Amino acid sequence: MSALKVKVTAVEEVAEHIKHFSLAALDGKPLPYFSGGSHVVVSMDINGRTHRNAYSLMGPTSDNSQYQIAVRKQEKSRGGSVFMHENVTPGTELEISMPTNLFAIHRLAKKHILVAGGIGITPFLSQITDLNRIGHDYELHYAYRSAEHAAFREQIEALCGDKAFFYPENETGRLNITELLSKQPLGSHVYVCGPDPMVNGLELIAKQLGWPSTAVHSEKFLAPASGEPFTVSLLQSNTEVVIPGDLSMLEAMEEAGVDAPFLCRGGACGRCEVEVVECDGELVHHDDYLSDAERVAANKILPCVSRANCSRMVINL
Amino acid sequence: MERGYSIKTKPIYGTLVWQENATHHFLVVAGEGGKALLKLFQQMVPKQATTIFYLAEDDASKKYADTVQKMTGETITICDSLESLLDSVKTALENCYMGTQFYVAGEEGLIWPVAKTLSEFGVDDRNVFKEQTGSLARRVFCVHCETINENVHHDIHQCGTCGLNLIVRDHFSRHWGAYMGFMVDGETPGEIPAAQEVYP
Ligand code: FES
Repeated sequence: MSALKVKVTAVEEVAEHIKHFSLAALDGKPLPYFSGGSHVVVSMDINGRTHRNAYSLMGPTSDNSQYQIAVRKQEKSRGGSVFMHENVTPGTELEISMPTNLFAIHRLAKKHILVAGGIGITPFLSQITDLNRIGHDYELHYAYRSAEHAAFREQIEALCGDKAFFYPENETGRLNITELLSKQPLGSHVYVCGPDPMVNGLELIAKQLGWPSTAVHSEKFLAPASGEPFTVSLLQSNTEVVIPGDLSMLEAMEEAGVDAPFLCRGGACGRCEVEVVECDGELVHHDDYLSDAERVAANKILPCVSRANCSRMVINL
Repeated sequence: MERGYSIKTKPIYGTLVWQENATHHFLVVAGEGGKALLKLFQQMVPKQATTIFYLAEDDASKKYADTVQKMTGETITICDSLESLLDSVKTALENCYMGTQFYVAGEEGLIWPVAKTLSEFGVDDRNVFKEQTGSLARRVFCVHCETINENVHHDIHQCGTCGLNLIVRDHFSRHWGAYMGFMVDGETPGEIPAAQEVYP
């Protein structure tokens, strides 16, 4: 994976448990341009272990002198977000991947409906700069718990004007997705990023309202689930890796020096897919990528988020 | 024709079936496409509202419309030309929302102009269910003078505008809603194979 070396130039607490980091290239040169909705994978060295988390670039997309990311401290974090909050300060050097975009706006849409829950606002901040530039019609619906959690609200008001709608749950109650999706003009596309129940709920409602799946876009950054340890034997690399309970298959393999492919690290893109040749237990899939048929066939796994209840698994890697 | 070989852009049509989650069904049919409409309503009369446009250029094809009307009590707007059909479709589209499912049945000369109108309204082509009925006549786009030849039954076809003899390919342009036609005697002028009726 080609990497960019960056330095943290500013850190700011923008809401409860949410910090905003600005990153500039270590060599002072401009960073690669990116499109709205892109993310980077940040590598962190936590007690000698490399830990990688994906974060959306918030933009503006016209600015390649710095990248902006925001990190929410996760209550049940496996270390990454806590490390970003507690150990990363202005001057810290980090390694990040090249930006990749799995959540781009659909350019042929007549109208874009952006739905954010909490920290899920981040990819929309860069999408909005793209939408403003190309002058497309859009609406942003931003739901959060209460005023203290409303990260970037002022910035959004300035960027979107009357196209932004805010839903502090403790004041207005939940955002009513059925109502939101019921009377949208033909050619609308909806984009959702937020907690799992919100994303799953919106996808289900859109389907029940007859929205074609091609007009529904979502992004979740799944944290890999923990589980029981097991051993993976890698056919091509001719080695064995023990997967501890608190690391994903991908992380444990990387730690063992295996150069395994990945892109989103969140079970969305399919880039990390490997063939399961043998498994003496059952695969536990946590991704959003494999089809039901592939799950039943049980001969593929996405090691960035999925694991197994087994003692030994053989994969073609 | 080479065995086991096909052109990716050539459209493949299905059989109309209801999209049961749709909140509104929008159907456009012409001629023999009325039979597809009838079959669809014989599957089920859907709960949701329907909007039906029927292009009937002759009395014979009107009979399907009458049958569906009697069977379902649905209102069917009958038009007598493609132009007036497309105009009425456009007006009706102004009042459609996401969740509307589109169905088109007829010859390619109906399917693609309707699909084009829908795409102007932002409807994704993958979301327009299409059934080809009646004649297999093609619309052919002459790549030399850039005009459309309607109702082409023969391969080789003489372009109605520029007079060149065209070989009709399976390469299909969704933009033009037509198959590409290339000059057949480009390399050896005057050597023109006999035309055959392959699109009856
Ligand atoms: S890296 Fe994208 S699915 Fe695993």
